[in-house]
Amino acid sequence: MTLLIQDKYPEKLFREDGKRLDGRDKDDLRNIKMEVGVIKNADGSAYIEWGNNKIFASVYGPREVHPHHLAKPDKGILRVFYRMTTYSVFDRKRPAPGRREKEISMIIADCLEPVLFLELYPGTSFEIFIEVVDADGGTRCASTTVAALALADAGVPMRSLVTSCAVGKIDGQLVTDLSGIEDKAGEADLPVAMTWFNDELSLLQFDGKVNKDEFNEFLEMAEEALGQVYQIQLDALKRKYQQIRDNVQEEGGDPEE
Amino acid sequence: MENNGEVETEDEIEDNSTTREIVAPGEVLTTDLEAYKRGRGTILNKDGTKIMSVLVGLKQIRNNYVNVIPLQGFYTARTGDKVIAIVVDKNPVKYRCDINAKYQAILRPQNAIKHRKKRRRRDKLDTEKFDIGDVLIAKIISADRLNSPELTLVGKYLGRKRDGICLTIDPPKVPRIIGRNGSMIKLLKSETNCNIFVTQNGRIWLKGDRFEYERLAIEAVYKIEREAHTRGLTDRIGEFLKQEKEKRGIN
Repeated sequence: MTLLIQDKYPEKLFREDGKRLDGRDKDDLRNIKMEVGVIKNADGSAYIEWGNNKIFASVYGPREVHPHHLAKPDKGILRVFYRMTTYSVFDRKRPAPGRREKEISMIIADCLEPVLFLELYPGTSFEIFIEVVDADGGTRCASTTVAALALADAGVPMRSLVTSCAVGKIDGQLVTDLSGIEDKAGEADLPVAMTWFNDELSLLQFDGKVNKDEFNEFLEMAEEALGQVYQIQLDALKRKYQQIRDNVQEEGGDPEE
Repeated sequence: MENNGEVETEDEIEDNSTTREIVAPGEVLTTDLEAYKRGRGTILNKDGTKIMSVLVGLKQIRNNYVNVIPLQGFYTARTGDKVIAIVVDKNPVKYRCDINAKYQAILRPQNAIKHRKKRRRRDKLDTEKFDIGDVLIAKIISADRLNSPELTLVGKYLGRKRDGICLTIDPPKVPRIIGRNGSMIKLLKSETNCNIFVTQNGRIWLKGDRFEYERLAIEAVYKIEREAHTRGLTDRIGEFLKQEKEKRGIN
């Protein structure tokens, strides 16, 4: 008898002790690890491990636009290429960019554009290549976060970083940072991205059913989660330079005042 | 060793007005707008109550201005800069050159010949003089945001380089290679016996009389690039060069 492995949804998304399936509390984030400067040939790059998500982002630019007809005479353009590897999900992902990838590329570009000074670079393009190596729910949020980090690492002037995180509703309860299975089996899902320049929202997509009070609570939960992710982003960005400085200090070269 | 007409730049990281604080884009530098003004690398928020950074860099306070010294970035062509250009394309009326900036630069043949009282017949105005891949030291005669920058080869120290090695580093780190009043470049030249030419676009041309010295100079340049944001770099590089020379047995 052939055993057919199927991607089944569990009936309950909470354990008996009140925690979620992966042992988190309702407002806990998954483990997040970020690093910048991982790709040598890119102008700027970053890598993120957000739970089981593993995503690389690399930034090139400003450079001349190819094909040339896309160039705008009064401002630069931002192009985002979000791609998933064939082995990133349970079933084989077909390598050609599909509807979903085009959509996510577009929303990430729209989300990052307000923080860039594109009007200073007419006729050029900034290109962000996002490669999802492993996917487990919330890749659009993780991709936005890592793309902003890669832009900052490339030395592109930005009004602020952009941070993104999802909140949602599973089994009638509001939770932060949905994992893959919670995303599929849950009732509602709200990815939020925030720019820290004027504390404005840059992305708000909603899918599911909630009432008005719950929606307001969503935004409060998102704000708290985003603050945590932002700190990790800042740490990753500074660590690259701080590490070199610490190494130098160990040799006794750089005197601390 | 003589200074080959290199640009004098200010070494801002050794300066005492630069703090050791690394800032990221969007970080608030100060909210005290009466005492400080916003300098380069910074922006005011919408209400005009905070000064924020737009770059990853080091915070600097000088003459009431809050600045951010970038640690990473790209080169923007400016009139009068000396650059190392690589010919990437040519047609009968102009050469196109890569100058490590966002636009390719243009070199016209009338800017590629030395002007004499009487033009000789062999100074033809065509693009036969250089080939694709040639390395040129050039000066920018015009640059703005809309048009491609234009180069000239007329001037002292300018022209084609037939030999030597060309390196590319991050353009914001060029002031560190030169050092305060040229101290770092003098050290590199005297310790490695190499002829070094540093240009604003982050390219470095070097040539030494011995292969071992050239290799040491390249390693030192990359070490400076990596540790550009730390202090006391000139002393450290001097020590590094002495140690490595002893270790490798070259004197």
